[in-house]
Formats: sequence, structure tokens, C-alpha cells
Amino acid sequence: MRLPFTRRKPAPSKAERYATATQLQLTWWRFCRHRLAVVSLIVLLLAYTAAIMADFLATTDPHQTNAATSYIEPQAIHWFDNGGFHPFVYGLKGARDMRTFKLSYKVDTSRKVYLDLFAHNYDYSLFGFRTDIHLFGLRNANRNDGIYILGTDQLGRDLWSRLAVATRVSLFIGLVGVSISLFLGVILGGVSAIYGGWIDILVQRMIEVVRSMPTIPLWLGLSAAMPSSWSVTQVYLAITIIISLLSWTDLARTVRGKFLSLREEDFVLAAELAGASQARIIFFHMLPSFTSHIIAAVSLALPAMIISETSLSFLGLGLRPPAISWGVLLQDAQNVQTLVLAPWLLTVAVPVIIVILAFNFLGDGLRDAADPYG
Amino acid sequence: MTTRRQVLGYASALAATAPAGEALAQAVSSSHSNFAQSGLVGHLESATEATAIPASFKEAPMLAELVKQGKLPPVHERLPVEPLVLKPLDAIGRYGGTWRRGFIGPSDGENGNRINASDKLLLWDATGSKIIPNVAKGWDMSKDGKTFTLFLRKGMKWSDGHPYTADDFAFWYEDIYSNRDIVPTPIPDMSPQAKPGRLVKIDETTVQFQFDVPYYLFLDMMAGDTLIGGGQSVQQSIGNCGGAYSPGHYLKQFLPKYSSEAAVNKLAREQGYDNWGRLLAFKKDWELNPELPTLGGWHTVKPINTPTWTMVRNPYFYMVDTAGNQLPYIDNIVMTLAESLEVVNLRAMAGEYDMQERHIDLQKLPIILDNRDRGNYDVHLDLAYNGADTAIQINLSYKDDPEIAKWLHTADFRRALSLGIDRDQMNQTFWLGLGTPGSAVPAEVMPQNPGKEWRTKWSTHDPAQANKMLDALGLTKKDADGYRLRTDNGKRLVLQVEAVAAMLDYPRQMEMVAQQWRKIGIYGDVKQMERGLAFQRIAANQDQINVWTNGGTELMYLFPRHCLPVDPTEAHLGVEIAKWYSSGGKQGMAPTDPELKRALELFRSAAGQQEDERNKTAQEIWKIIVDQQYSIGTVGQSPAQFGVRLVSRKLGNIPSRACIAQHCRTPETSRPETWFFKA
Repeated sequence: MRLPFTRRKPAPSKAERYATATQLQLTWWRFCRHRLAVVSLIVLLLAYTAAIMADFLATTDPHQTNAATSYIEPQAIHWFDNGGFHPFVYGLKGARDMRTFKLSYKVDTSRKVYLDLFAHNYDYSLFGFRTDIHLFGLRNANRNDGIYILGTDQLGRDLWSRLAVATRVSLFIGLVGVSISLFLGVILGGVSAIYGGWIDILVQRMIEVVRSMPTIPLWLGLSAAMPSSWSVTQVYLAITIIISLLSWTDLARTVRGKFLSLREEDFVLAAELAGASQARIIFFHMLPSFTSHIIAAVSLALPAMIISETSLSFLGLGLRPPAISWGVLLQDAQNVQTLVLAPWLLTVAVPVIIVILAFNFLGDGLRDAADPYG
Repeated sequence: MTTRRQVLGYASALAATAPAGEALAQAVSSSHSNFAQSGLVGHLESATEATAIPASFKEAPMLAELVKQGKLPPVHERLPVEPLVLKPLDAIGRYGGTWRRGFIGPSDGENGNRINASDKLLLWDATGSKIIPNVAKGWDMSKDGKTFTLFLRKGMKWSDGHPYTADDFAFWYEDIYSNRDIVPTPIPDMSPQAKPGRLVKIDETTVQFQFDVPYYLFLDMMAGDTLIGGGQSVQQSIGNCGGAYSPGHYLKQFLPKYSSEAAVNKLAREQGYDNWGRLLAFKKDWELNPELPTLGGWHTVKPINTPTWTMVRNPYFYMVDTAGNQLPYIDNIVMTLAESLEVVNLRAMAGEYDMQERHIDLQKLPIILDNRDRGNYDVHLDLAYNGADTAIQINLSYKDDPEIAKWLHTADFRRALSLGIDRDQMNQTFWLGLGTPGSAVPAEVMPQNPGKEWRTKWSTHDPAQANKMLDALGLTKKDADGYRLRTDNGKRLVLQVEAVAAMLDYPRQMEMVAQQWRKIGIYGDVKQMERGLAFQRIAANQDQINVWTNGGTELMYLFPRHCLPVDPTEAHLGVEIAKWYSSGGKQGMAPTDPELKRALELFRSAAGQQEDERNKTAQEIWKIIVDQQYSIGTVGQSPAQFGVRLVSRKLGNIPSRACIAQHCRTPETSRPETWFFKA
């Protein structure tokens, strides 16, 4: 006789959990073990959120020039006033020393300018809605007052606001660029692997030719070929396309390699024998088993893309003012007066480094996670 | 033969009627209040001509050595009988040394041309207001203004020792200038009212320019930076064939006339040129051809297309100091190629140049001043007289986009653009507050200035008025971003502004202007462009608005291209109209704007007018330019161009202020031949 089932089912052991987990769970667990990658993921999520909300975070119009606020150094926000939480900044008095010709600003401690949350400032559109509400702003501001968290540039524009907008441009140029090269890479890599023969040879040689080209002269040529009558947005798009036209080759190689190895797998043979169509085999059996690899490759391609834009613009070949991107901001800092008189303009390099590092760590983590059994 | 006394008599008589005259002299004494505190602005001064010819002559040690070896005749044989005697500014100098300087490539020929502007026939004094002798020791103008006689220095020689005489003028006139293969159309400088003038040799040392109509302006033309008066160095480098004289004994071998077309073409092909024209273009260019005989203080030994453009003293140079030392004092000039303007400035601050005023960035002045002791240099600020270091030039013959053309050719539209600019903001940001905001007219002290009120006419910041004017023109519809829409297709009205990143930081300045135009609903699309491309587009009538200095317009007749469309070589204000003007209506496009037509007619009539009348005409022209805002002035009269001068403390005879103006060929009026390295 069987005893009634009285004992509670024991919690599954680690090994059991492993055995029963789905591929996605395994990947996630493996990813979480890579602490740096997790931190990087959070950093990047924050960065992209900031990028989407760029205008909301900006405190003043990033294009607004004002001679009276030229080269103001980063300004501290004072948080408490009269024993309560009333953030404020002091007013500034600027004057040019007619002996040294330097602009200098004195803090006017008699004048406090208070900060407000959700303050009204310049108009912008967010998800298609037009609004003028910004995260924070000044309450009793004079014409030349501002919250200069990162200081101002020569034209008196607030670097914080410019950086926010630049982040949006630079991060999304990366995304758009990678999407294009992903598309090209998967299509051309896949075609090359599946059809083989002369198509394979053609695609592979093409990849070699593209990869053998020295990039800087090529960029030089391509951006010189851009008609000078193009608007900033058109140039932006063209730059993205140029960059992605050069960087699809890596992805194509990865995809082709994966296709070739998977083609020999038993489950593909099984699907073939079961009469599945070629498209079904590719899209339902093969692609899902290496999407994780593609994601990892993409996350490693993104920073290269961002760096490309930044360096192109820094060299004056990519985006040009009035467009704002990291490269454009860094180009602004490319002279001796910045180094001496306004070193804070170099802080733009910090987010570039952070984002690039984060992408690399994330890519590292994803690559590990992509092969959870490894 | 004229005696020396007579010649000087001509000179002083002419000084009284010299164009900029007394007015400019006053400018010298009134100092700019903004600069007073800095102590960096001195007074206009330079070496001056002395009357007594020294009894004996001395020469540089490097030349004495060659004389000893028998490779060079002794110094008294090399000098003219009547050399130009200069009384140095402070002291008799010592020989030797290499003047280190920076240049930015083969396009920077003016860098060297200006140092060698001692090859000009006539020059201006330190104040830029009085014509003085140079290569020519004197001159005479007939009462009717139709005949001009130049007196040359007897016994003067080219840098290769060959005599320099009236024959070199005759050669230039007959074999270069009148050869339609070389100079396709007569230059306007030689053709007042489209009636060609003649150059006639009177004797070995006398030449005469003869015209059929009164041409009182011609003397100024010979002293100015013009096709006729610019001198050999600038006018016979690539492309130009002016300059009034040419070394015939050397260039004859490249001309078909003296052998045959086949022979010179063969010679050209042997040296790697397509035809004799190409070969001649190279051979007559002192920047590229070290063999070419010249007259200036230094001649090229390593050409401009190398990383170090090197010049060495001219052993036959025609100037001496009051102690009889043949000038120049400095042996060599070495210009090192700098990859960018930033590099020029950094090297200058590191003390790697001995004297540099070209390519120095006013915006770096605070750091330049900080580094004075480390780089062992002094800084001088020289103020310009032209009204706009940055002039927004409207293409008055633009036609590619009819809608844009219509607006660009509408006076109220241009006035509104001008009223939309906050010049004080530009001045503070880019000129360190040291320029003068306002219209394009030259400084108030200049004789051609039309009056104080024209500085501010249509040239203040008044966006409300500008908006009203634009609304009244019918540009009332705006898009979501507040920009005005075109009247033909309802799209945004976009003005393309071409800004070259040279001289000043035009692209960033225009970025600021575009932001200011936002408030009047005008979208300015600022295009940063390479200089060559931008000028090509101007020459092809493709640009809408371009930005450049209006340097040279302080004496409008000598360098009009920056304020009127009269010179097709650089027609910022409309190349088709410039072609129409210079061809006497045969080519190009006639202006439809009656005011522009009037300005051009006034300009044409001026050449035959005496000085006072001529200046009044110029004032009238300026009134039209400002009232119509063909050329929108922003900020000027500053040291932004060639005006921040870094001079090694080792150099002597350096003036505390130099006249920086196109006609002065800065730094030539400071007489670089008399500068020297102190022990």
C-alpha cells in the first residue's frame, strides 16, 4: 500500500533548477554572475533614458548664445538655505580685465537664485508632445543667470544642456548605425553561408576589400563627397550610413560562421527531415539559437560606432555645428585657449569614456551569457 | 634729368594731396579708449627716408666674404647711385641672424610677398596716409591728371646683378601686359573709363604712364595694393600679370617672340610643362622659382612648396641706412610650415618665431600675454581702419533659387537681417570686447567715412523692427519652430551662409548670428567651408551669402572688392555684376537695382576726380552701401587681422604700432629691412 503523500516537495536543488531552466533563464543567470556587466547595463539604461529625455534634463536652450556668460566655470549648487532644503545658486558678476583681457566672474553672494523642479523654459517636443517643462530651472533669474553645473563654452552656452543633447545624438547615431550594419551583416552573412559557392566567395572577398580600406582617408573622401547644401540632419544620416557601410563586415563574418556551424547540427537535420521549409529552418530553428551571439556582437559594435562618430566630428569631417554631438563638443575644446582658460569643456570626454567602457563590459558579459553551458 | 631736390619737391607737393591726408594722421594721436589700459597700443612710427646719401657703403659679413672670393662685385658697385637711405627707427642695426616665422602652405604666398613689398614702385608712410618713394625715387603728375612720370634710381640692379632700368617697364608693357596670351583682357588699373593707357620709356631711368582721360587716382593706384602697383612679388606670382615691370633679361628666353613658339613649347615640355604659358607662369613666380631676379630685400632659395620656405638677403638691394650699411640687416628668413592655425599660435607662444603677426588669433590674446616672458616676446596691438572684420556679403547676382534671390535682392530683407544681429554680443565673444560694432563703413577718421550716423544706420540690434519689416514684406507664415516660410512652396525659408574657417573664426561667429536670426524667424544654414571651395562657389555665382573681412575698403578705390561688385577675381557681392562692371557691360549681368547701379556709376566716375571730390564720391557710395545693406557690417576696427603682433625681444627697430591696412602691405610700411637682432 502506498503511503499517502505527506511530505512537502523539497525545494529543487541547484542542479535541478539548472536542468529545468529555459535557455533564457540560464542566459540571464549567467549574465548576472558578471557583476561589471550588470552595472554597465544599468549605466547604459540610464544613459539612454537621459538621451531620450535630453531636452527635459537640459536647463537652458543648448543653442542659446550669450556673450555675457562666456567661459563661466562650473558652478556649485547650494542645497540648504535658512535651515531648509532650498537649492540655489549665487548670481555672477562678469567683467573683462582690460590688462590681461581675461573674463572673470565674481560670485555675488548677496543675490541667491533659487532652483525649481519642473520649471518652464524653452519649447521642445518629447514623444510628439510639445512642452516647455524641464526637470529643473531657475525661479528668480536675471537674463544672464543660469545653472552652470558643467560651466559654459565660449559662446556662453550651458555645457550641461549641450551635453544632454549631444548624448542623444551620439548614442542614437550608434544605434541607427548598428541597426543598418546588423541588417547588412545578417543578410549578407546569411546569404553567404546558405548559398555558398560563388556567392560566398563574392561576399567574402567584398568583406576583405572593405576591411582592407584605411578608414580615415575613406571617411575623408566620403564626407567630402557630401554636397555642401545638405542640412545638418541629412549630414547626420549620411554619416550614420557611411559608418555602418564600413562596419557590417564583422557581423557578417560572425553570422556566416554561426550558420555554417549550425547547419551541421542534428536539430537542423531533424527539421529538414521533418520537411520544414528552408525559411522555417532559418528563422525558427537557426536564428533563435544564435541571436544571443548577435546581441553580443552588436553590443561590441555599438561603442565602435559611437567612437567613429565622435572622432569623425572631432576631426571636422562628421557632424558640424550647429549640430551638437560628443565629437562636436570635443572639437570645440580643440584649441589652446580652452585648455588654459576653460578646461571644463574637456569634461565631455567623461561620458564618452563611461559609455564606451560600459558597452564593452556589457558586451563581454553578454558574450559569456550567450553560451551558458560554457 | 631731374635733380634730387626736384624729386623731393614733387614728393612733398604730393604729400599735401595724398588721399588719406590729415584725417588719418589724427587717428594716430587719438588712442582707442578700450586699449589704453593695456599699454599694448603704441603710436604709428617707422624708419624714415633721409636726404643725405652716405659717403661710403658697408655690407653684411656674408656678402663681404663673397666679394673677397671674387664672386660678387664690391658693395658700391651693387648699390644704385641714389640708394634709398633709411633712418632706422631707433638705432643703426647689426648684420646677421635668421628671422623665424610661420606660414600655412603654398596658399600663403602673401606671407612672403608682404615682407618683400619693398619691390613696390611707391609706398605709404608709417601712418598709411602719405605716399613715399620706394623703388621709384620720385614722381610727377601732370596738371590735367593724364600723364604720370616715374623717376627710377640710376644704377639700380636686379638681385642677379643685371641693371634695372626703364627697359624692364617697356618689357612688361609690351611683352607681358600687351600679350593677350598672357593677359587676356586689359586690367582696369590701366584703363580708366575703359580707355587703355600706355606706358612709355622716356630714358633709361624715366618712364611715363599716359592716359586719354583724367586719372587723378592713378598715383594712389601705383602706391596701393593694386594690379598696377602691387609690385612684382605679389602681382607676378601665380595667376597675376600686373606690377608694371618685369625682368626682361631673364624672362625673354621663355617667350615665343624671342625665339619661336615651337622652341619655347619644346623648352616647356622638357621641363615638364604643357606649354610655354605654364612654364612662364612658374618662371615669373618668385615664390616658386629661386632663379627669378627680384628687387625685394630677400629672395627665395627654398620655394614655398617645401616645408621651410627660405629666403636669403638680396645682395643688390637698393636701400642703405644713414651710416651707409646696405640693408637688410637680417640675413635669412625661414618660414616653417604649420599644419594649422592652432600650431602657428602655439609655436609663436613658445617663442619659436621672431616676429609673427599673420595668423595670430586675437581670441588667444590672454594666453599670448601670459606667455610673454616664457616665449621672450613682446605683444603689440595694431588697430585696423576698415569697418568690418566680419562682413556678411550678399550675393547680389544670385539666381539659382528665384525665391531666395528675390529676398536677397530686396533692401528691406537685407536691412532686417542686419537689424537681427546683436553686434555687441559678437564683439564681446569673439573680439574680447575690443572691436567696434556697427556697419561696414571705415573708421570715422578716414576721409571716405560718410559720417558718424552711418556707423549705426540699419546696424543696431532691433529684432522687433526687423520682424515688422519682414512681416510687411509678406513673410508672415511661420512653421512650428517659428521660422518663416517661403512664399512659393510653403517650405522653410533657408538662407545658406558660407563661412570659411580662415582668418577669423567665421563659422562660429555665424553660428551665433544664425541663433540671433532665429528671433526674427530667419533660418540661417551656416556651412563651414574650405577657402578654395568657398571662393570657387563665389566665382561660379553659386553662393547666397558669404562671410569675409572687408579689409582694404578703408581706401575704397584701391581695394574695392570687399564693398562693391567690381572685381571678378574675388566678387563677394556678386560675380556676375562684377563681370558686367569690369567688362563695360559686355559680359555678366547688369544690375537691376537702381541704387546699386548708381553706386557703380559713382565708382566709375571717381578715377577722374581730384582727391577731395573723389573722397566725397566715396562717402556717397558708402551711404548707398549702408542704406541698402549690400554688405552687412558687424564688428571691425580691431586688431583681429594682422593686428596681434608678437615680436621677439631680441629684435630692434620695431615700431610700437604698425598701420595694418591692405594698401600698407603690412608689415612693409614698418620696413622689415631695418629690423635687426640685438647682440
